[in-house]
Amino acid sequence: MDYDPEGGAINVRFLQADNQRANFIVQNFNLETANSLRRVMLAEIPTLAIDVVEVLDNTSVLADEFVCHRLGLVPLSSRGVGELLYSRDCDCDGYCDQCSVVLTLNAKCTGSEIMKVYARDLVIESNRPNDEVGRPVITDAEGTGSCIVKLRRGQAIHMRCIAKKGIAKEHAKWAPSAAIGFEYDPANKLHHLDYWHEEDPEKEWPKDEERINLDGGPANPDEPFNYEAIPNRFFFDVETVGGLDPDQIVVQGIETLQTKLASVIHELQGSSGGPDGMDLGGAQSPTMNGGAYGAADGGYTTPGYGGASAWGGAGAAQGGTTPYGATPYGGQGQGW
Amino acid sequence: MTELDGANAHSWNNRIGALVEHNPACGLRDNTKDHRHVTHKADYDADDRFELFLLDDGQQKIEHKEETRVPNTAIFTFNKEDHTLGNLLSQRLLKYEYIVFAAYKVPHPLFATFELRVSTDGTITPKDAIIKCCRDVVQDLGVLKNSFTTEWLGKKIVSEGEAERIARENNTY
Ligand SMILES: [Zn+2]
Repeated sequence: MDYDPEGGAINVRFLQADNQRANFIVQNFNLETANSLRRVMLAEIPTLAIDVVEVLDNTSVLADEFVCHRLGLVPLSSRGVGELLYSRDCDCDGYCDQCSVVLTLNAKCTGSEIMKVYARDLVIESNRPNDEVGRPVITDAEGTGSCIVKLRRGQAIHMRCIAKKGIAKEHAKWAPSAAIGFEYDPANKLHHLDYWHEEDPEKEWPKDEERINLDGGPANPDEPFNYEAIPNRFFFDVETVGGLDPDQIVVQGIETLQTKLASVIHELQGSSGGPDGMDLGGAQSPTMNGGAYGAADGGYTTPGYGGASAWGGAGAAQGGTTPYGATPYGGQGQGW
Repeated sequence: MTELDGANAHSWNNRIGALVEHNPACGLRDNTKDHRHVTHKADYDADDRFELFLLDDGQQKIEHKEETRVPNTAIFTFNKEDHTLGNLLSQRLLKYEYIVFAAYKVPHPLFATFELRVSTDGTITPKDAIIKCCRDVVQDLGVLKNSFTTEWLGKKIVSEGEAERIARENNTY
């Protein structure tokens, strides 16, 4: 493509892949899309978190609001959260099995030792759409999860927690990632950075030699500065909170961004009242209005979601069967 | 799962922090006695938590306005969107040879909206240019997703095999 001086296809290279992080390089990509993907992974992937708490009993030293806030931050598994509705889209009053998971926390200290109440003590009460969603995330060796409150003899806590689906734009507790590392041009060959320095930035700033070597080595001092150069290699390091696997954060980030763009296409075409005059090398235009996207749904969303959501049929424009395969660029795309 | 009934079944927001006198769902305690039974939002009680990303009543996602003073130019106002889309579209549009001008601005940081101004050379309308741009980005993302998924599986198998090998070696000694 015109922005790609090397003419290679977009590809991914992994540096690390395990249950907690996905550390990878995207090559032959562009800055604006890479950055938008980063932003979507931070703020717009749906997850599950405790949102409303009924306090039945609390004689701990922490105020109700304080404990409720802590409960909101407890990571819950969001695997299969697509089968839940957003509570605001649900027909029920308050909450129900279609839009929430109910967990109870009930503990009383009877011994003389201080008792710690952990995330593992949250008991799921409601009927969930699948066995995974809503399970408190427990990754530590002891199997306790995060500590919510401490109780001394005679103190008790009893709460009913209603966990709902949401995104981190609403509140950071719905963020799927603990951190996302993002970098390009580690050697600063493009001069996008202007390092502050006393005398010589070369001596005063640390260098990540490994990264620089992965990005084509340090700048050649004999070469003149290339004004045309643009970044095309991006380092991502996605670390999960535990509710979603790191690869799922990336995949769902891509899908969320695709859905967002699909809704723009849908909206712009809808206002024109039919297929427009643009020729994309195929007869796919008429199918763009809804149907084709719905059919390409990778199975992440329930029929209920598609019907109730503002995105309408544009549920997901991902997968190998989108009409995009017919665009002039289709040939480059490794047969999808 | 139990549904709350009667007066308690309405908005959660109204009863946040309020004493709830009767709630059959809690079952365990007689709330008419001296036991407190309080419902809290797990976080601060703003009613407008959705205002960053849910369209207001009757609001359009995209408002389209032709710029009459300049040819082949239009301004698109995207509601409930931010830099994620604004920067992506404006920067990407600049890469097409028929785009004469493309830029976006967020008129006020407290309102979740941005304006995208697009001028073309006349061979394509600004609207069609945006549609084409969106399609190309969706396609790029599809390629990225396929490559990511393939590489992830490969790397996972390699690192799991590595962990197994280490475990085996540790057992030998
Ligand atoms: Zn519901």
